[in-house]
Amino acid sequence: MKSRKPNIIHFNFASISVHSTLMLVSLIAIFPVFWMVLTSLKPPGESFSTISSMFTRNPTISNYLSVSNLVPIYRNFFNSVFVSFFGTIATVFFCSLAGFSFAKFDFPGRNALFMVLLATMIIPPEASVIPVFIIMRNLGWINNLLSLIVPRAATAVGIFYMRQYINDFPDELMEQARIDGCNNFKIYWRILIPVIIPAISAWASLALVNRWNDFFWPLIFMRSREMFTLMVSISLLPVSEGLSTPWPVIMAGSSIAVLPLVIMYIVLSRFHLRELTSGAVKG
Amino acid sequence: MANQFANTVARIKKYWSCYVFIAPFFLLFFVFQFFPILWSFWLSFRKWNGLGPAEFVGLQNYIHLLTDRMFLNALGNTAIYWASGILIMIPIALVIAGLLNYRMLFGRNFYKTITFLPYITATVAVGLIFGIMFDYNSGLINQIIARFGGDPLRWLNSTKYSKIPVISLFIWRLTPWFTMILYTGLLNIPLELYEAATIDGANILQKFRKITVPSLSHILLFCFITVSVESWKIFSEPYILTRGGPGSSSLSIFQYLYVNGFTIFKLGYASAIGYVLTFILFAVSAMQFRLMNKWVKN
Amino acid sequence: MKFFRICLIFALVFSALPVFGHGGREAEIVDGTYPPGTMLLYGYGQPQYWLQFFTNYLEDNPNVGPGVRIQMVQTEGEADARQKAQMSFTAGAYSEMPDAVQTSPVSMQVMAEGGMLEDLTDFIRPMQDLFIPGTFDQVTYKGRIYGLPESLRPQLLFYNLDLFQEYGVDPEMMDTVEGYIEAGRLLKERSDGEVYLSYVDPGSFTWRYYGRRGFMPQANAKIWDDDGNVVIDTDQGARRAFETIATLMEEELLLEVNMFSPPLYEATRNGKIATYYMGAFWDEFMRANLQDMSGSWRAMPAPVYCDIGLRGAPVIGLYSITKKPGSVYGELYKEIWTDYHFNPESRKRWTDRMADQNAPYFVPITLEMLDDPYWRESSSFYGGQSFREMEIIGLSGSAENMRVTKDDAEADMLISAELELYIAGDQTMEQAISNMGKVLRLQIGSTDPK
Repeated sequence: MKSRKPNIIHFNFASISVHSTLMLVSLIAIFPVFWMVLTSLKPPGESFSTISSMFTRNPTISNYLSVSNLVPIYRNFFNSVFVSFFGTIATVFFCSLAGFSFAKFDFPGRNALFMVLLATMIIPPEASVIPVFIIMRNLGWINNLLSLIVPRAATAVGIFYMRQYINDFPDELMEQARIDGCNNFKIYWRILIPVIIPAISAWASLALVNRWNDFFWPLIFMRSREMFTLMVSISLLPVSEGLSTPWPVIMAGSSIAVLPLVIMYIVLSRFHLRELTSGAVKG
Repeated sequence: MANQFANTVARIKKYWSCYVFIAPFFLLFFVFQFFPILWSFWLSFRKWNGLGPAEFVGLQNYIHLLTDRMFLNALGNTAIYWASGILIMIPIALVIAGLLNYRMLFGRNFYKTITFLPYITATVAVGLIFGIMFDYNSGLINQIIARFGGDPLRWLNSTKYSKIPVISLFIWRLTPWFTMILYTGLLNIPLELYEAATIDGANILQKFRKITVPSLSHILLFCFITVSVESWKIFSEPYILTRGGPGSSSLSIFQYLYVNGFTIFKLGYASAIGYVLTFILFAVSAMQFRLMNKWVKN
Repeated sequence: MKFFRICLIFALVFSALPVFGHGGREAEIVDGTYPPGTMLLYGYGQPQYWLQFFTNYLEDNPNVGPGVRIQMVQTEGEADARQKAQMSFTAGAYSEMPDAVQTSPVSMQVMAEGGMLEDLTDFIRPMQDLFIPGTFDQVTYKGRIYGLPESLRPQLLFYNLDLFQEYGVDPEMMDTVEGYIEAGRLLKERSDGEVYLSYVDPGSFTWRYYGRRGFMPQANAKIWDDDGNVVIDTDQGARRAFETIATLMEEELLLEVNMFSPPLYEATRNGKIATYYMGAFWDEFMRANLQDMSGSWRAMPAPVYCDIGLRGAPVIGLYSITKKPGSVYGELYKEIWTDYHFNPESRKRWTDRMADQNAPYFVPITLEMLDDPYWRESSSFYGGQSFREMEIIGLSGSAENMRVTKDDAEADMLISAELELYIAGDQTMEQAISNMGKVLRLQIGSTDPK
């Protein structure tokens, strides 16, 4: 397969329209986030809802300090990192493994089990919070970060995605490996994983973001400020009844919640691209 | 018969490791979802405020849904959100993924990072910004409209337009998810296929129809199913932007379920809504599977 | 083999962690000293400031609970606090159950009915007369008291004095609802439509603040009659309240903008909003978001209908003590609550601290403490006017709160939806009122008026 890296910049119609469309898309994508960060740097009391007042002459970080006075930010940050990190690893591992099984083996009951899996994807688990809470309670996982990691260690969506992707994995490679004496797990670990790196890294970043931004479950299972994830603490800033947190402070909180992911994503995406191309070359 | 049975047993034995591979999911499902599902089913025939005994009311909750104007509005609104997910979000995602996959793209890494940004941001945070942008008096959108000589629109304050901010936020935030999925799918299509087609004189549209879409069919099916699930379960977008209003003009089903369960504490009724929602999702997904299968075969 | 090791670890984690049933603490209070442990509170709004009073108390009285830690769990709001407390109670998860939960009259009634709240009648009775009259009305359910009020805040009207002076309108005329509307007309006319009397929220806040807490009680309006039947569409008071809103809307005296949102503050800053009607809570919001307007604003008691003479209904802030098995900290909550209402020293110290942090605090609701000139100190944000004093004045002549029934949370949702459709311009007020009646009868039928 040929490399997808351009050698020279072309100035034909197609190239220009592709680049300008992407630039427009990027602008739309980045604008609200950009605005949020700008607002968080404004001293409280300055107006900011109109476009003409986007920038400030007196940028300040005092809003960030206010947030750290309102919530135990470091502890919350740690919780978020912990949950996102282990949650992502678990989910990628179990989903790809199960996806592999569903995609490549014709074991008895495969289709029926897969239909069951799809069906579960459709049922909103949020609808039955109370029994889930009772179960968590009996497991002793209330106010315990495990309750945010374990239940979604293997998700139906993830397995579905992995199956759809692995479907296109060539059977010959598997046969080859089997002849070489690999068992199924070895095939998964040694042969499949390197080839499906694009899918794994895609799913990992989606899962990571999902975990980081999760709001509903931590709010239910975590019962103290110290155990809240960053997202919960921040989300409570604006929505609480009767809360008069100034808007720039809310925006500072939101930036604190969003920026680590953005930075991490930018850092990872360098690495990520290299992996993607190497995966593509091997495939 | 006995032979067949023995055959199956033999195959189960042969494939034992497959069962181990999928076991974690089913184990988790059994522990954390199966009992709750049964419990909600039981509850959907009862009247309960979360304290004290639950009173059996038969099918009353389900029958009541048929005349509940708020529920019917929510049903219609959610169907519109769903349609916009299918008809707007997936095509946009596909186009962006295609652009990102453009061979002569300069700065691919940069665009990939930036276009993924919306998904990273929390809905709660961006929802507030969107609310300011769609404000009637001083919002950015109306300022742009005014600059082009149009009249400002009551985005958040009228029943006619209130779904548009919700859909905008929904699409803005979730498109990158699908772009990412589709882009990884595109990477798997050998470039040689396109080159051969170019030599045969195919234009972009033909290449798209004959090469891109068929090669992506597995991934596209996945996208259609997930976008359906996501849009039928849409919650935070209307919750943050409009609280479902004015009236119930932007209320989603899941939001109505939430209100019933956690604000006014009609837990039996909320469970019934949950079951109706599940049933709709089953029907929608089954329909998509059939259509997709037909389409792939053609 | 790595895979099996991982599986094994997961299986172990799964099977080893379940712990069934937590025993309650069996510790007791000895000589006024509480056993070590954690007192758990669920609050909303900005409960961390309320918590400071508690931690201060334990510091000042080291013998009371040397090993007691107080934990305040921030919840999203009233419904969320109730849901969490209720869920712990129903699941038997008593160790996660709060000792006291912040709540509202509706939820308090339901929780009391469900048997999860402590009956405080005998505790309150001896000191009831020391509070301003009517303090316990809203926390009484079926003749028993289930809540400990921390505050009772009046409805106040805030106005931008600069605007009134600029256009030569006398704020005094806003003492009546009729005068309030008239002031709006004058401001609008003299400013060529630049200045709006106030704002209107397109969502549920309009019903909550203009309806339930505002014009409805001021007009003696009813949603339910004494037998629990729906009368909102036939009641004269309700009609009057809704017609007031209709007048304000149809004469375009209100700027359409979301409450608590930056565009509202923006419009205020630009001199487009003349008054904030109503609720004492605007004090915190203005000080936090409109610091630059310091000195421009004043407060006055909410207006009255001239033939009825009632100001808005006061809003109660309250916590209820739960029946948490084996816990003694409910008693500690009562002890600190008593100190809060009867110890002027600790109360003033806390208030000073709150004022320094620009945090919310409340004026006392006990008669003796109210005599202290401390509660009449001037406030610089209001150009020297004493906001504290205004809060005290605002409480006199206030209307009684509307009857609260167990169905009122749902009724609020249904009524608000119809009112929102009116504000959006989809129906006339006449249609809105008649639809409110219809939909309440269809969805709720009748309620238990108790």
